[in-house]
Amino acid sequence: MFRKRTVTKSQEYSENIIDTVREPLIVLDQDLRVVTVSRSFYEVFKVKPKETVGQLIYDLGNKQWDIPKLRELLETILPQKATFDNYEVEHDFATIGRRIMLLNARQIQRGAEKERIILLAIEDITERKEIEAGLEKTRKELAAIKISEDEAREYSESMIDTVREPLIVLDQALRVVTASRSFYVVFKVKPEETVGQLIYDLGNKQWNIPKLRELLETILPQKTTFDNYEVEHDFAAIGRRIMLLNARQIKRVSGKERIILLAIEDITERREIEDGLEKAHEELKELAAELERTARVKSEFLANMSHELRTPLNSINGFSEVLYDETFGPLNEKQKKYVNNVLTSGKHLLLLINQILDMAKVEAGKMKLALSGLPMKCLLNEISLLVADMVSKKKLQMLLEIAEDLPDIEADELKVKEIIYNLLSNAVKFTPEGGKLGMRAKKAGSGIEVTVWDTGVGIAPENMGKIFEGFFRVDTPYSRVTEGTGLGLPLSRKLVELHGGKLTVESEGLNKGALIRFTLPIISREGV
Amino acid sequence: MRKKALVVDDNGNNLMLEKDLLEVAGFEVFEAENASNGIAVAGREKPDIIIMDVRLPDMRGSEAARILRQDKETRDIPIVFVTASVMTEGREELKNITNTGFIGKPINTRTFAKEISQFIK
Repeated sequence: MFRKRTVTKSQEYSENIIDTVREPLIVLDQDLRVVTVSRSFYEVFKVKPKETVGQLIYDLGNKQWDIPKLRELLETILPQKATFDNYEVEHDFATIGRRIMLLNARQIQRGAEKERIILLAIEDITERKEIEAGLEKTRKELAAIKISEDEAREYSESMIDTVREPLIVLDQALRVVTASRSFYVVFKVKPEETVGQLIYDLGNKQWNIPKLRELLETILPQKTTFDNYEVEHDFAAIGRRIMLLNARQIKRVSGKERIILLAIEDITERREIEDGLEKAHEELKELAAELERTARVKSEFLANMSHELRTPLNSINGFSEVLYDETFGPLNEKQKKYVNNVLTSGKHLLLLINQILDMAKVEAGKMKLALSGLPMKCLLNEISLLVADMVSKKKLQMLLEIAEDLPDIEADELKVKEIIYNLLSNAVKFTPEGGKLGMRAKKAGSGIEVTVWDTGVGIAPENMGKIFEGFFRVDTPYSRVTEGTGLGLPLSRKLVELHGGKLTVESEGLNKGALIRFTLPIISREGV
Repeated sequence: MRKKALVVDDNGNNLMLEKDLLEVAGFEVFEAENASNGIAVAGREKPDIIIMDVRLPDMRGSEAARILRQDKETRDIPIVFVTASVMTEGREELKNITNTGFIGKPINTRTFAKEISQFIK
């Protein structure tokens, strides 16, 4: 009786334990029929005691428990081992879904009958597994991040090494974390004396630059980023350099640690080039101002020269003219001839002065055209009459071929007359006695073309370029003359060009005559 | 009654040449070698015409002309500038003075007196 009570008591005690443990616990007999189960079993697996106790375990809850791995454990493994820990079983239950369970089994002998019972503790580790799987996933992700961080680091380091500009990475304490290859090359320092060093201490404290200190210690903490901060410094190793600093203060991916990226662009050469350009630009400006001043001085000089030469010429020409005209009494033949020579030379000098002034004016762009309608046929005949005297004196033959349909043009009358007179008088001057000269005029395109030709001394090929230089005169027995200034042809060409026309010279060579052709537009416009 | 002409020029030769040409043409000619004297003679003689150089020792011919134009005695006397400054810049300062003429040097002795006479009304 006592014993019975004790057994009962101990059974109660065991059942209390069974009920107290959080994990579902099931007790099976030798035939694998349920003897008892813990309260938590019912709760976890949503079954009731009356459909559980006495049932074959496999038949529980509509045979939900017919799990191959459970059969394996109970029928094959347990009879041999008597105890089994952490046997993991995953199963899809109709009522509670897929569960992962950890089975712990004990086969024990009960009472005097030595009947065996099986204690089966079922730990539902589904949630734990999920957490573990999540953790594993997180761990893997973290590993991946680690890998990508390493890759990123490698990537950025290769980038750092690739950029042309020296780049240096500093930690919060301004110690060098890493530096680009170009940093070492440009600043002639070695990695082993650089990494870990305070930036100011680099290369024998060469980097202790007040402006760099200002940037790193004062400006950067406030601004976190800084562009194109210019620093000039005299380095012991590489001399005076001008650098452009670009700085970024960034937080590292992990942790709150901050690093500073400092890109150093050496703009010494660029600045030198810029300075050189600036200087050249200044010099050019000075030169332009000087040229302008020179042009003004030249212009003033010519005005003065003109004035100063005209004043005595007024006396020379004026008095000799009055004498020649015998206003105050008669001269003998010799006196009259001499005074005429003075007058002729004076007039020549005046022509020279006028032509020089005109050349200067054209060259300075100050020659203005006074445009008016010109009756060309009339005008050409008129000018030819001006040289008629000289033509007959030299027994020359002059031919005029003026086209009937020659149009009138709009141009500067005085200048057109001057051009034609210059060309005709040249033809007369440079053609020996008995020779021929002539003028042809015709409509050509949207303008007129005038040709003055002669059978005179012509122009040697080597002199073709010189005839427009000014003061060049073909030196021949016929032309060594004091008349003519050597400016007539160049000035004529400039005046033609001023009207928008062209003047060209042709000659087959010395003593083969010359042909001068010029064009003028029907309506001239200002400008060359 | 002979016309009165005043010639103002600091160059003695030019002065003489112009005086002779005008006298031959029948003018009574007064001379001055600077602007101040010229203005004084003009006020005193009230000539029919004044022939004046532009560059004078004491002032510009244009300046002298402005003074002459302010005095009612000389205001209406035509002034002919005879100047060696024939470039356009030289004429700029003369263009705003009323009743004036312009003859460039060297002068044409054969037409000088006639040109001058054309400026007298």
